[in-house]
Amino acid sequence: MKGGSRVVVEPHRHEGIFIAKGGKEDALATKNLVPGEAVYNEKRVTVQKEDGTKEEYRVWNPFRSKLAAAILGGVDNIWIKPGAKVLYLGAASGTTVSHVSDIVGPTGVVYAVEFSHRSGRDLVNMAKKRTNVIPIIEDARHPAKYRMLVGMVDVVFSDVAQPDQARILGLNASYFLKTGGHFVISIKANCIDSTVPAETVFVNEVNKLKADQFKPAEQVTLEPFERDHACVVGGYRLSKKKKDAE
Amino acid sequence: MSSLRNALPRRAHKERAQPSSRKKFGHLEKHKDYVERAKAFHKKEETLRILREKAANRNQDEFYFKMIRTRTEDGVHRPESEANKYTQDELMLMKTQDLGYVLQKLQSERKKIEKLAASLHSIDNQPTNKHILFAEDREEAKELQSQYSRSEIPLISDNIHTNIKRKIDRSYKELEARRTRLSQLQKMYMDMSMKKELRKNGRKRKLREDEIVSPTTEPVYKWRAERKR
Repeated sequence: MKGGSRVVVEPHRHEGIFIAKGGKEDALATKNLVPGEAVYNEKRVTVQKEDGTKEEYRVWNPFRSKLAAAILGGVDNIWIKPGAKVLYLGAASGTTVSHVSDIVGPTGVVYAVEFSHRSGRDLVNMAKKRTNVIPIIEDARHPAKYRMLVGMVDVVFSDVAQPDQARILGLNASYFLKTGGHFVISIKANCIDSTVPAETVFVNEVNKLKADQFKPAEQVTLEPFERDHACVVGGYRLSKKKKDAE
Repeated sequence: MSSLRNALPRRAHKERAQPSSRKKFGHLEKHKDYVERAKAFHKKEETLRILREKAANRNQDEFYFKMIRTRTEDGVHRPESEANKYTQDELMLMKTQDLGYVLQKLQSERKKIEKLAASLHSIDNQPTNKHILFAEDREEAKELQSQYSRSEIPLISDNIHTNIKRKIDRSYKELEARRTRLSQLQKMYMDMSMKKELRKNGRKRKLREDEIVSPTTEPVYKWRAERKR
């Protein structure tokens, strides 16, 4: 009962994500791909399995990651799972990217696009230790510039906080997202239009996405963690036929 | 004769407690306690006697400089007023220091909350946010609705050790306590900085009730615009 029983880690509803429960944790976590390393000074928990091997998990802070906030908000499916190929627009310093890289594991790939050199530096440093992260310091508005680096992906995650983020997502999806792939976009209402209520902004953005061959499936607000943010999840170029088969 | 009686062993005389028949007269005091009480009484008596004597032999022309500033009113000594003990500048500095201390505490509290909240996500609670599902037509909407109502978010298994559960509960309580403390500190900081601003130079006046745009319980002040070079 010693040691190992101090923290209990259980799998979450979403594949590749875990829940850590311990003295001071009641938290979302991902299995650390690089044991012994923290990316942004997050808490790590180590559990000992029955056969004596140790596993390390990193606590995922929903105040710093919109994806984690969406998961805690009860989103049905995030489509990011072990083995998936993910295009991540707006990677910033790579805090969320590191967790996505934990989820997809060694068989998956994360292409992380970030425009700013300053935060791109942290991203590159993080990617040095994680072989499944490919950092790209480019403007996500011009996917043609990095088309040689990125293959077809299963999921596009977009967190760019620009007024034309729906267009950016559409552009990247047309280049890299496979037919029947999925998208996750986080919308900050203030960044798009601060003069109208947040709800209206979300509706407008969803309509823009619909016009771009996206089919939104669900939308969650990131309420206790972020104000006036929403996360929309859906499919891309879903064929009618496939839908009937389901 | 008496010495002979003293030599004989005598039965020890034991002091009694108050007999039950005399209970209504209250506690029966023991001699030992009486001696102590009487000694204290006589000591006070003696002190009072000495003081009375001194008062009677007092020098009528006795003078100390403190008598100018302080006096007795109805026999009660009124100490010197401390209203102007500190200058305006000194007071301002002290207020700034108080404010700085509160701000420091506020910031440290905020950091602690941030740290705690980073790993306490209330996973077992139902989320409080808004969740919208998009459907193409009526049938799909109905289907989604029935699906969603059935698939309640499952609670994480209850086989977690009670010790861990207790610790988690305690952590949540700590977080809650710190949040209330933070809000109190914020309020105090606002009040104190308002008071400090009011002590500064510059013409200002309190707004009347009908002049306040967004109603609050607190008083609202307006400073006169002053041209500065």
